[in-house]
Amino acid sequence: MRFLFVDRILELSRGEFVRGVKHIGPQDPYLCYDQQGKLCFIPSLVGEALGQLAAWNVMEANGFSMRPVAGIASCARLIRPTYVGETLLLESFIDRLDDTVVQYHSVASVGSEVVFTLDGALGPLLPMDDFIDRSLVTQQFNDINNPGEWPPLALDIRDTLPDNFVPNLVPFVFDSIIASEPGVGLSAEMKCNPLAPYFPDHFPRKPVLPMTVLLESKINLAREFLELSSFSKQYKVHELRKIKMKDFILPGDVVTCHLTIKSHEENKLVLNFRSEVAGKLVCVLDLIMVLS
Amino acid sequence: MNVDSVYPKVREIIADVLVVDEKDVSLQKRLIADLGAESIDFLDLVFQLEKEFSIKIPRGQIEKNARGNLSEDEFEKGGVLTAEGLLSLKNYLSEIPAEHFKDNMKMNEIPMLFTVETFCKLIVAAVNEQTVTEKAV
Repeated sequence: MRFLFVDRILELSRGEFVRGVKHIGPQDPYLCYDQQGKLCFIPSLVGEALGQLAAWNVMEANGFSMRPVAGIASCARLIRPTYVGETLLLESFIDRLDDTVVQYHSVASVGSEVVFTLDGALGPLLPMDDFIDRSLVTQQFNDINNPGEWPPLALDIRDTLPDNFVPNLVPFVFDSIIASEPGVGLSAEMKCNPLAPYFPDHFPRKPVLPMTVLLESKINLAREFLELSSFSKQYKVHELRKIKMKDFILPGDVVTCHLTIKSHEENKLVLNFRSEVAGKLVCVLDLIMVLS
Repeated sequence: MNVDSVYPKVREIIADVLVVDEKDVSLQKRLIADLGAESIDFLDLVFQLEKEFSIKIPRGQIEKNARGNLSEDEFEKGGVLTAEGLLSLKNYLSEIPAEHFKDNMKMNEIPMLFTVETFCKLIVAAVNEQTVTEKAV
């Protein structure tokens, strides 16, 4: 099951800008249901697609000798889900690039509607050979690098799902809640299954848990926390802030995540997440929720 | 602008970036040994400082500042600081106690020395340099 999300690169200006598309089809393996029960692309994976798009630009610029890995993002705003039948227009703007790090920001749109933004993304560059064979990654790039315009009509297609359609869902969730204090916080555990479908592409020589899989699991954990807490108001995910991946999470690792309320105002709830592997901090972020 | 004037904001940013309590951050604290910083934190820290102070801090700027007028070969050979290089580094990082420096120090060990004050000095230098450049333009 592929974990590569740019269907086609439409335009690439080396070290500056890259534009591509991703169509969400019913056969897409990474679907979930939104809060209204409508089938959509897993929201955090829009961020993955934008990160991969920026990475294609960076890797092409350095002759596929180095690759960026997930590091830091100031803010990822999830404006609305992307539904089956829609096509995401992905744009990444490289703000700074040297031989150690890339800094970029990105936007995903459906038609003229912005659905996801990513700001202040920083990705350290690491040797490609540690992660994937250079000829393979070059081939993957050549397969999708097809400059030109996406047929405008394709942007308006809305695939219809058959009545008896059963999606093949890959849930991104924590395995179990190990401690819970409703209205205050909770802790949960995830065992990284080496057989998870994203490891072969992420990455062939060094499988690591994609940061976006962890983020989506945290978003789902936040929803569980809200259910357990029975707040008087309904909240929805607005944005993720101060995201930082401090270390790789490997297949077989056990991730423990601690969720606490950072602030709770009338219209806004800020949750803080700290994730650890064997007591070492591996990921931190704040999740901003607003009234739905 | 001086170290004292930038310190409160730098302290706040360091505490935020390293996810530590602000009261645990002081000028003399070493980022790696005392505050638990890792390489990704340095990227984050520089990014946040650049944003806050509207400056650009090129990668390796501290080492470059420490090198001063020495050529790269005079400063280090094969990734190890020369005696001259070590002296130059000590002079630049004057806020760091002498016992933290060692002979045959490797280039990749330099970040182990960095304190909160090192970053305050870096900010002051970058802001002053930018001001000079702007005036020249």
